[in-house]
Amino acid sequence: MTLPDISVDLAPNNPRELRLANPVIPASGCFGYGQEYAHLIDVQRLGAFVSKGITPKPRSGNPMPRIVETPAGMLNAIGLQNPGLRDFIKKYPPIWNDWTVPVIVNISAETVEDFVEMAATLDEVPGIAGLEVNVSCPNVNAGGFCFGWDADMTAEVTRAVRAVTTLPVIVKLSPGAIDIVEIAQAAEEAGADAVSLINTLVGMTIDTRRRKPILANQTGGLSGPAVKPVAVRMVYQVAQGVSIPIVGLGGITSLNDALEFFMAGASAIQVGTAMFVQPTIAMDLIDQLPVWLQQQGCESLADIIGSANPRFRAKLAVESAESAAV
Amino acid sequence: MPPKLFQSEILAIEPELGDASRVTISVPAGMANEVRPGQFVHILPRGEGTLDPLLRRPFSVMRPRPENQSVDILVRPFGRGSGWIARQKIGASLDVLGLLGNGFSINPSARNLLMVAGGVGAAPLVMLSEEAVEKGLNVTFLMGGATAAALLSPSQLPESVEYVVATDDGSQGHHGFVTDLAPNYVPWADQVFTCGPEMMFRSLRRALEPHRLHRKPPIQVSMERSMACGIGACLGCVVETKKGMSASCVDGPVYDLDLIDW
Ligand SMILES: Cc1cc2nc3c(=O)[nH]c(=O)nc-3n(C[C@H](O)[C@H](O)[C@H](O)COP(=O)(O)OP(=O)(O)OC[C@H]3O[C@@H](n4cnc5c(N)ncnc54)[C@H](O)[C@@H]3O)c2cc1C
Ligand SMILES: Cc1cc2nc3c(=O)[nH]c(=O)nc-3n(C[C@H](O)[C@H](O)[C@H](O)COP(=O)(O)O)c2cc1C
Ligand code: FES
Repeated sequence: MTLPDISVDLAPNNPRELRLANPVIPASGCFGYGQEYAHLIDVQRLGAFVSKGITPKPRSGNPMPRIVETPAGMLNAIGLQNPGLRDFIKKYPPIWNDWTVPVIVNISAETVEDFVEMAATLDEVPGIAGLEVNVSCPNVNAGGFCFGWDADMTAEVTRAVRAVTTLPVIVKLSPGAIDIVEIAQAAEEAGADAVSLINTLVGMTIDTRRRKPILANQTGGLSGPAVKPVAVRMVYQVAQGVSIPIVGLGGITSLNDALEFFMAGASAIQVGTAMFVQPTIAMDLIDQLPVWLQQQGCESLADIIGSANPRFRAKLAVESAESAAV
Repeated sequence: MPPKLFQSEILAIEPELGDASRVTISVPAGMANEVRPGQFVHILPRGEGTLDPLLRRPFSVMRPRPENQSVDILVRPFGRGSGWIARQKIGASLDVLGLLGNGFSINPSARNLLMVAGGVGAAPLVMLSEEAVEKGLNVTFLMGGATAAALLSPSQLPESVEYVVATDDGSQGHHGFVTDLAPNYVPWADQVFTCGPEMMFRSLRRALEPHRLHRKPPIQVSMERSMACGIGACLGCVVETKKGMSASCVDGPVYDLDLIDW
């Protein structure tokens, strides 16, 4: 008996598609550029992976310490250390072009113009299957206010990126937004093919002996199991408000965690911090998911997407009735 | 050998260095033959059914034991992770990623090697000393600790190694820092190797500066950084070097001291 279908298309409205053999994706910043893990796991079996966030110019990142463990989680303030757009293009996409796994490139910038420059340059680069736009960055032209906390700024970045690339565009949402549904809808209206959520939550931990924050940057992004309930709740809400595919992430360390995201309404999931701890976790999920679906009598992954989210399922039913009527 | 994920068994636990333990853990076939001094293993400090503490902890290999496919590590119960490992019993199973890191390298022309160890930083230098003595090289091992009880027992080093100690409280050897002793050996040493707290590296560099000509003898240092992945993916463990940011889990933890940007 064949196992249930777990393939997904994260860009159904885009002629270039973003078809994945399975819905399991290592998250940006937690998988390097793919090669780091190639000795430990079969990278080609992944649904896709998202590469470390790149910026137009090289960045050496923040001073040390950059990471600190917290209860069932960690704070990081890496500061987007990366070789910059030009060296990135020379070094990594040529390697990925020989790989079968789709690679999604995470882009970060502090101005709309910089996002546009990267998206336009990457559009025709072989070896890249899609872009993930990291809007959890300060907008230097808005007093450092995070793009992803404001619907208009998120829409502006998305629209500008959409205009210069035909690649599938995933907008990665920040959990710092007051109303994440509003931000997701703004991204959808501005042409995003999908949204991914959540990025890290801003946090701090203080060294009480030295009476100062442990991270040199003072604040850092909280990730890992500690953030999972927040992430699941946000995916659940966003699923009721948008019609594009949702990629859910935040604290996934097991099949049960992944199922929570699918049942909340995610079409695919990403694994971040858990990749550091258990490099085989993505492979384990790819193996376990179809077996679990079969045990549950499901024909495909679609059977469980949003199955804990009645308003999402109702919306889906209306949408598919509408498209059948056309 | 590329890094492997494996289940390891604790084969022996012996007290060492005061409250620390020397823990013998099994490794996959062939791995014990391939360890380079300075390489480390990344250990998950928790059992099944819990997610806390979340991250692995790095531990330098103190001694490979190819005869029974195992390695010794030296674990000081410091916080949550190392404390958990130190509380495990013989027969317990550990989730390990290794071998990681680059390791020390002895220059082909070097005859006289100076080791400068602070606390559990002694671990990789024990392995390096054993390898050096096997090659017929001369080794002086300077060891510093808070008290006499916190020093490495001499039985852990080959007999031909000259072992000199310093304690903060003067309970054994030199009363003061191990770095006070180092300048005397500079004219003799062809190479210096050090591992311990970062404070010690800074004072070692300061103490040796006036005695070194043309950056000789060269000094290799094993840096200690908080790590997440251990394989170069997270960039949480970087060391600022004169050639830029370097991920100490793959390009280190051993660096030429003069290349580090302090
Ligand atoms: C290459 C390498 C080799 C090592 N080899 C050994 C070895 O052979 N033997 C050994 O005993 N240890 C070794 N260590 C250290 C070891 O990996 C752990 O870091 C150490 O045991 C502390 O972990 P813990 O879980 O006990 O403490 P934790 O519970 O993680 O920390 C205890 C407290 O210290 C704070 N803290 C921890 N790290 C930092 C930091 N960098 N800056 C500020 N505050 C911090 C924490 O916030 C916490 O409050 C090595 C480290 C490296 C990088
Ligand atoms: C060390 C580290 C680096 C990260 N770097 C990036 C990045 O460059 N771009 C980005 O969009 N997200 C980055 N993230 C966020 C993750 O992709 C992810 O959104 C977050 O960690 C939550 O997922 P998790 O709990 O599974 O880790 C980083 C996270 C960590 C821990
Ligand atoms: S620990 Fe992740 S890059 Fe070194």
